[in-house]
Order: sequence, then C-alpha cells, then structure tokens
Amino acid sequence: METHTIARAQVRAAQWKQVVSFCRRFARNPSGMFGLVILLALLFCAAFAPILATHDPYLPNLAGRLSAPNAEYWLGADELGRDIYSRVLYGSRLTLLIVGLVIVTSAPIGLLVGVVAGNYGGWLDTVFMRVTDVFLAVPKLLLALAFVAALGPGIVNAAIAITLTAWPPYARMARAEALAVRNSDYVNAVRLSGASEFRIIVFHIMPMCISSVIVRMTLDMAGIILTAAGLGFIGLGAQPPLPEWGAMISTGRKFIFDQWWVATVPGFAIFIVSLGFNLLGDAIRDLLDPHLKART
Amino acid sequence: MIDNILTVDRLSVRFGAATVVDDVSFAVARGESFGLVGESGSGKSTILRTIMGLNQDWSGAIGVNGVPARGTGRSEFSRQVQMVFQDPYASLHPRHLVGNAIAEPMRIHRLDNVEGRTLDLLRLIGLSEDFAYRYPHELSGGQRQRIAIARALALSPKLLLLDEPTSALDVSIQAEILNLLNRLRSEMGLTFVIVSHNLAVISYICDRLMLLQNARHVETLTREQLRSRDLQQNYTREFVAASGS
Amino acid sequence: MTEPLVEVKNLRIAFPTEAGGWNETVRGVSFSLGREKLGIVGESGSGKSLSGRAILGVLPDHVRIEAETLAFDGIDLLTASSRQRRHLRGGRMGMVLQDPKFSLNPVMTAGEQIVEAIRIGDRRIGRTAARKTALEILESLHIRSPELVFNRYPHELSGGMGQRVMIGIMVVREPDLLIADEPTSALDVTVQMQVLSILDELVERRRMGLIFISHDLQLVSRFCDRVIVMYAGQIVETLDAKRLNEAQHPYTRGLLACLPEIDGPLTPLPVLDRQAAWSQTS
Repeated sequence: METHTIARAQVRAAQWKQVVSFCRRFARNPSGMFGLVILLALLFCAAFAPILATHDPYLPNLAGRLSAPNAEYWLGADELGRDIYSRVLYGSRLTLLIVGLVIVTSAPIGLLVGVVAGNYGGWLDTVFMRVTDVFLAVPKLLLALAFVAALGPGIVNAAIAITLTAWPPYARMARAEALAVRNSDYVNAVRLSGASEFRIIVFHIMPMCISSVIVRMTLDMAGIILTAAGLGFIGLGAQPPLPEWGAMISTGRKFIFDQWWVATVPGFAIFIVSLGFNLLGDAIRDLLDPHLKART
Repeated sequence: MIDNILTVDRLSVRFGAATVVDDVSFAVARGESFGLVGESGSGKSTILRTIMGLNQDWSGAIGVNGVPARGTGRSEFSRQVQMVFQDPYASLHPRHLVGNAIAEPMRIHRLDNVEGRTLDLLRLIGLSEDFAYRYPHELSGGQRQRIAIARALALSPKLLLLDEPTSALDVSIQAEILNLLNRLRSEMGLTFVIVSHNLAVISYICDRLMLLQNARHVETLTREQLRSRDLQQNYTREFVAASGS
Repeated sequence: MTEPLVEVKNLRIAFPTEAGGWNETVRGVSFSLGREKLGIVGESGSGKSLSGRAILGVLPDHVRIEAETLAFDGIDLLTASSRQRRHLRGGRMGMVLQDPKFSLNPVMTAGEQIVEAIRIGDRRIGRTAARKTALEILESLHIRSPELVFNRYPHELSGGMGQRVMIGIMVVREPDLLIADEPTSALDVTVQMQVLSILDELVERRRMGLIFISHDLQLVSRFCDRVIVMYAGQIVETLDAKRLNEAQHPYTRGLLACLPEIDGPLTPLPVLDRQAAWSQTS
C-alpha cells in the first residue's frame, strides 16, 4: 500500500501545479484582481458584519430619523432611524445567500440537463431542449415574478424563482460542449474500453464543460444580484425589516430628493458588487474559455 | 485451418446516402501485421472504426477472436481489441493526468493493482514513471502517442488497431514509434491492423497489406509481392510509383 | 550574382512566456534568396514556418521580431509601414498554406476568389475580363474542366483541386516571391506530385523566387535547388539539393536515415540521438 499513497501525493502535487499556474496567470490581469478584491471585501463584510457594524441593523431610533451622514451614522440613517452603514453590511449576507443558493442549484441542474441531452441525443435531447426553450422564451424577471407570486414572497422563494429562470442558459451551453466532446477521440477511447455512459458523462464529458460553466456563473452573478434586488424592490423578495439592498432602495425612493443617501448607499453597494463580479468573470473567461484560447 | 484473429466478411458501411466502404472482406492471422493502405476517402479508417463499433450503419460480418462484433457487449469486446488513434493531440483527455488516462480502462474493468500496472505500462512503452503525473499538454507528440499505445494495451488485448499512428509526428519520432510497435508486437505476441497512406511505413511494419480505392478493395499483397513489384492492378502500380522515392 | 530577392540576416523571433520573459524560437537565421527554389526543412518547432511568416509579415503582434537585415528586393521589411507590407503581400509576395480547406473562403466559389484576387490587384480590369483570365489560370493549372471548377465552392473541391485553386489565387498577380508552407502535406501521394510539378512549372516560367517549407527532406531535395536544414531555431546546414547524400551534419544524416523505405531493411530504424551541442549558439 506504500506505493499507493506516494502516487496519491504525486497526483495531488501535479494538480496543485495546475492551480498555481492558473493563479499566476490570473494575478497578471489587473481588472480581474480588482474584481477579486471587491469579492473578497464582500465576503469579509458578510463574515464580520457584527463586528464591523456600529449599530443594530434592526433597532429603530426615531431621534436619528433620516439623519444625513455624520459621526454617529456614517452613511446616514433611514426613515426609522436605523444605521444605513450597518444595514448595508448585513445586507451583504443576504446578497451572498441569494447568489449562493441560485448558483449551487441552477448551474448543476443546467449542466446535468445539457450534458445528458448532448450525450444521448435522440428523443431525450429533443424533450430536454424543448423544455429549455420554453423557459428561455419567457422574460426572466416576468417568470421570476410569476413564481414568487405563486410561492409567496421571501428570500428563499426569490432564490428558487431566480434559479428556475437561470438554469436554461447553462443547459444550452453544456449541451453544445457535450456535442463537441462526445465524439472526440479521447471520449471514444474510454468508450472503447467498455466504460458505461454514466462514467463517460461524469468523468469525461462533464470536466470539459465545467470551465464554460464557471465562466458563465461568474458573469451571471451580477445579473442574479440585480434580479434579486429587483424582486426586493417591488416587494416580492426579502421582506422588511430584512436589510436587503433592493428593498432598502425601495423604501428610500420616497426620500430620494431630500434624503438621497437612503436609496443611494444600497444602490451603490449593488453597483460595486455587480461590477466586481463582472470584472472577475471577464478575467476568468480570458483564462478558461476554450474558445478564446486560440487567440492568445 | 489458419487461425484468424480478425475476420471481416463483406463489410459495407454507409454514411447517409454515401457508401464509404463497399463490400470489403479480409482476414488477419494471429500474430500477423496487416496494413490497410489507400488515399483519403478510400474508407480505410472507417473500416477500423466500424470494427471498434464506432459506426452503426453497416452490413456484413465482423469477428474478433471468434467473438462476433454485432451483439457482443462493449465491455467484453474491449478486452479482445483496442485502437490507437491518429492524432495524439486529440486522443488524450486534456484534463486527465496521463497516469489516470492509462489506468482508466483497468478501473472500468475493476482489475486489481491498477497503480502498479500503470507504472509497468509506462516502463513498457519506454517512459519513466514520473510521466504518470503529467498532463498531456506537457508532453510532446511522440510521448503522447506512446501514452495512447499504453492505454490501448491496458486491457491486454491481443489485437491492436492503429489508425495512422505516425502521420501526425515528425519523421525522427515516427522511427521511434515504429520501432516501439515492432518491439511490442514481438514481445507480447500482438496482432496489428495498421491504417496508413504511407506505403513505406506499411512496407516496413506489415507482413501483408490491402490497397483500397474509393471504398473498394483493389489488391491484397504480401510484403514480398510488394517488394518484388509483383502487382496485378494498374492502380496499385500507380500508387507504388507515386510512393517510391 | 545579382541583387538577391530576399536577404535575411540574423533573424530572431521570440514569444512572450507565461513568466513574463521571452522564449526565442528562431535564433539567428541568415540566408539570401535569388530567383531560385530554396527549401527550408525541419521538424515541428524548428522555426521554419515562423521564418517564412516573418518575411511575409503575418506573425501576430505580440511576437518580437529582430534582425540585422530583413529585406525584400531592397525594401527593408523591418521599417516598412504596415500599409506598404500589405501592398507587398497583395502583389509581390504570395503564400500557399498546408490545407486549402482553411485558406479558401468557404462562401465564395473558387472562380470568384480568383476574380477577386485579380481585381484587387487592378481595379480597371472588368468582371468579364477577369473571369476570362481566371479560367485561363485554372486551365494553366492543369484543370481539365475549368468552367466546372470555377463555379464550385471550396468544400465541393478535392484537396488537390483546392490547393491548385489556392496556387491560382497566389499567382494571378505574378508575385516575385512565393512562400509555400507544406503545400502538399495534406494531399494524397498521387496528387502530391501533380501539384508539385504545377508549382515547379509556374516558378520556372515566371522566374519567381520560391521558399518551400516542409518537414520532408526527400521531397524538398527533389524539388528545390538549395536546402536549408533547421534545428531548434537555427540553421544547422545548407546543402545543394543534388548532394543530399553528402550531408555533413549528424542531424541531417539522422533525418535521412530514420525514414523507412518500401524496399528498405526490416531491422530497427536508426533513431536520432539529439545532442545538446546541435542547439547551442555557435
């Protein structure tokens, strides 16, 4: 068994080398690094919100109602006198929760549907892809709205609704990749050694689709944040008093002319985070996208 | 009776309306090296892929080691015959370590001591053990083709089908691979069916060859007949003349 | 000897590496070309194609090209404007690539592409006149029914026919220099010879300079006047094509020896024993 463990270690080392090489190339992309910094800052804020916050995000203080940014309320206070800075910090947790829920559900569903359709072809392909087409044919926000209306408002329901609208593009992409890969020589080679279709899909075709999916995922995150904020804005996402950014803008719009900070600060938070995810996504695409590789 | 490891009887393959292999029959004796020669579009590669079950629309009969190709499960068939592809840059999974690529067929068949056998195979094809922990993009074309040969040998088949195994390689690397193939055949008692457009390669490595043109069989020759220019068909003469240097 | 057509002195081509440095793949190549057929032979990665592309000026922007001299008919290519170089490529230099499938425009018929090439060279030529010239060119390429080929799309042509059309496009404006990069490697043996003899005929008749880039030493020596053998970005030997057997360098001799022959012995093929000294800067 001794040799076996040595082999494992060497496999790890070889894989680690790939990761290091990827990180090196990533580090040379300034806008990607900027996006990464924003994402890390977001994670940091979410993780240490209780320590970083100056106030209880839920505790009203009518005395400080709608106060402009000052020493007490760094970014001002809202209509109930809650500290906007603290609420935006806590809001980052909700944003991450929604993005996380949507990504871990929609990407695998889309990947699975796409790869199975692409690999098997025939009627299975037709059925899967027509269902995908139906989902793609309805405007995203409208579909999400309909689902939330049916399921009832709330953060988890919003995430489920967004998932239902987010998976079809993954399915399309994964199918295209699977079609390209399934008749390649290296997949034929394992097929010829008697591998089951399940094994071929999971170990040989899926790894080739993963990089496209990851690229799409990071580029999608900004969109998910915006959709979540949109649902929050029209009152179908997170419910008060949760400090969700979209909902915060929604309450702030009543004071937009006189107390601009109430709506602007969460809006700015959405802008920064979306920008960060987009920059990160672009950088990752430059490194991973198999179709772009030929150009460099 | 001659002990034939591969029999192909009246094989026809169709791609839609086009017939790409038209009524071709041949048999390969155990231990023999048999060449399929022809220009592009002659159907030589298609014959190999059909034997391996990569084409569905065919008629005729194919038998490997007495096992019929039609109706035999892939798993059982895969222990009888394996294939090496033309382009070593396309036949290895870009995300799999070379060692895993070689081990994969043995894992599929749940053989024991897969790690040990993988390292044995690497030594057999003349590469050191640390190649197991590299990715295909870190290897040269010749090294990749060696890995592809090791993978094909992982299930110890007796019959190996080689589709233009050296045409994507430099001539000096081609010599190394041809030497390797000859050594493996004599050491392991393998039977080869080799597809090539290069008559010099076929004459070097094959005992017998069949010339194809436009999906049809033209002439089957032994190496001696080729070398003494004992040719019956005009097309064969033309082909040999164009290939000669 | 008269003024050489192409003069290359100490050409160096480098690619940026991942670590931020430069990886030199052509390391000091010098040769000159008159109105003759010059073969450049080497294995993949020897820098033979890059050298040809550097003369044409079709290397990507991130590649670093340095040379003491890189001149075409007295024009310094290193300082020439991109407009001037484009003009040269369109008129006085031509290139034939390995696979006609990738170098012909898939949505234009073969004939239209030749007509287009003619008319880009001289706008005053009318469509009908250009068409007539195109048919003549096809005929001169030993195409039996030029009308038929004229109206075919590239995917409807066989490899040999496609390569002839490609050559036709390249020769319409009678370039002074033709660079052929593995022009016959994708073709069947029986077609290879035909295409080569067409190329030969053109070069002889129009007194062009030809740079023939290939991995096939035998083929090149049969076809060219002089042969340059490259290894790891350097020229290891320049040979008179007729005297291939007198090659001195062990690399050239190794390349010749490792080829199987139809009537060759069945003993193991000699294998190149690559020595570090071959790739050292001399």
